[in-house]
Amino acid sequence: MIFENLKLAMFSIRANKMRSFLTMLGMIIGISSVIAIVSLGDTMRSVVAGEYENFGTGLAGVYIMSPDDVYTDSNLFTKEDADQLKEAMGGELTYVGFRSSTRADVKAGRKTETVSLTGLAENPTEMKDPKIMYGRMLNDKDILEKKNFVVLDSTTAVNIFGQENVVGKTIKTTIQNQAEELLVIGVFQNTDSALMKLMNGGSVADAFVPESILLSENEYQWSLYFCMAEDQDMTQLQSRVVAYIARMKNQDLENIICNSAQQEMSSIDSMLASLSAVVGAIAAISLVVGGIGIMNIMLVSVTERTREIGIRKALGARTGDIMIQFLIEAAAISAAGGLIGTLLGISVVAIGGMIVGVGVVVKPSVVLIAVAFSAMVGLGFGLYPAKKAAKKDPVEALRYE
Amino acid sequence: MKEIIKIEELNKVYDTGAIQVHALQNVSVSIMEGEYVAIMGQSGSGKSTLMNILGCMDRQFQGTYLLDGIPIVDQGENDLSRIRNKKIGFVFQAFQLIPRTSALKNVEIPMIYGGMKAEERKIKANNLLEKVGLGERVHHMPNELSGGQKQRVAIARALANDPAIILADEPTGNLDSHSSHEIMDFFTKLNEEGATVIVVTHEEDIAQCTKRIIRFQDGQIVSDEKVVKEG
Repeated sequence: MIFENLKLAMFSIRANKMRSFLTMLGMIIGISSVIAIVSLGDTMRSVVAGEYENFGTGLAGVYIMSPDDVYTDSNLFTKEDADQLKEAMGGELTYVGFRSSTRADVKAGRKTETVSLTGLAENPTEMKDPKIMYGRMLNDKDILEKKNFVVLDSTTAVNIFGQENVVGKTIKTTIQNQAEELLVIGVFQNTDSALMKLMNGGSVADAFVPESILLSENEYQWSLYFCMAEDQDMTQLQSRVVAYIARMKNQDLENIICNSAQQEMSSIDSMLASLSAVVGAIAAISLVVGGIGIMNIMLVSVTERTREIGIRKALGARTGDIMIQFLIEAAAISAAGGLIGTLLGISVVAIGGMIVGVGVVVKPSVVLIAVAFSAMVGLGFGLYPAKKAAKKDPVEALRYE
Repeated sequence: MKEIIKIEELNKVYDTGAIQVHALQNVSVSIMEGEYVAIMGQSGSGKSTLMNILGCMDRQFQGTYLLDGIPIVDQGENDLSRIRNKKIGFVFQAFQLIPRTSALKNVEIPMIYGGMKAEERKIKANNLLEKVGLGERVHHMPNELSGGQKQRVAIARALANDPAIILADEPTGNLDSHSSHEIMDFFTKLNEEGATVIVVTHEEDIAQCTKRIIRFQDGQIVSDEKVVKEG
């Protein structure tokens, strides 16, 4: 019986192609916008997560706030502090040190380009290896020996030299007011997506140099970076590090401000999640509008087919049979709209992702919820017209002109 | 002979607020299995009201009505649907075929609601259309058929569930005289095969095709007599 009704519904949808399509359009627009918006949010979240993954999620930075705004040595860190902390925490911290980066004008020939140089410390586990295309990455020996080496990102290499493979060439720059000449020993692939660039206002790092050439030995630093081993309870370890620093620097615990990549990531993540939920909910309103469209057309259809209802009832259709016939028709219209909308939404996101150069995330759960929701809208708004149809008196209905 | 329809003291009042119309007054009649009956009367005589009650589409009446031994007044709406489906084969004046649905599908409808299997009812619908002489036109849509052909599809549909009675409401009302005779001949043939046929009509010559004529006037039976065939 359900199968018969399904066939009937398909028949009646086909019989009124244009009308059915226009009715579906409401659902198509609603579903596709919900899917597009929620998937866009999910995609951004995955891009952010991926970006942090590159840095290592165990990375955290700490600085000492001064309540009276007076900063002395006890608010700043030295290399000794870093070494002391690392020793005290044992193997739980894989890295303690400073992150140094500077923007410098880089010259090669007559071309000048502003590049952000990031200092790499020895044993640079806080940074996942970038994808080396030519040459090699900096190693501990280069850093300890303060070699004037640089590893460029491919885009910067093209900007400066007009080609990607620039291993063996030199660039001129100024570091700490001293002219330096740096030898390019490697080129890494620029993996920054256009979306990330948009969000960051630029690349994360254009070039890596040994940290030792960026920092002088006994300089005080604002903030200390440390990297926690991945298998740790990071929240707990972080508070122990903070407590240790407070004791070491003789400071109040609340003045030690510590931000971990994971915290930052989860706060951005939750912000993006709530943003896409809110916008998605607004888009969902259009689904209700689509549902009203379905109800409207079903009411027209019920009136138009009054005689058919009368015939069917005379021939033995029960109230439930008529009801199911019209309910299935409404649900089929909205489910078909939902399906088309889903495909449209996914393709919009996919095309958008291709343009921005981001791997798109479309969660099956989102699609499932959207289609289920559209069928429910169809059932919900189809209920009243179906009831109206089922309640018709056969004698009256047969006489309807 | 089994008593297929038994009506006693049937009363039906249409209450339109200001005036009450007594459509049927103390109607008592019984029809045996295998009878061929015409119910006659001018419009407003109550024959349509009786037809709706006989067809189990109207249960708002006083009195008793037994169809094949089943009391109709006590039945729920879904039970009435089932009784209509199994016991009654309707033939209407306006054919009442479902538009844009093939002759075959139209004939299948009562069997669908009766819960018959798809292959089985397809075979039966084909056989029935064959029987009414439309074996060549099973896939035609109603708008591709003439009036007489439409009515023959309707008769095939009425026979679908082997009903206890065939109830025809002005079956020739929309047909020319040639088609009318064709249809009446068909009813005669069905009756000869043992079917109980009830024809509601206002045309004397149509009524004369049957074997018994019950005449209505102002909601009452005025005469009930056997048809004497000449020759």
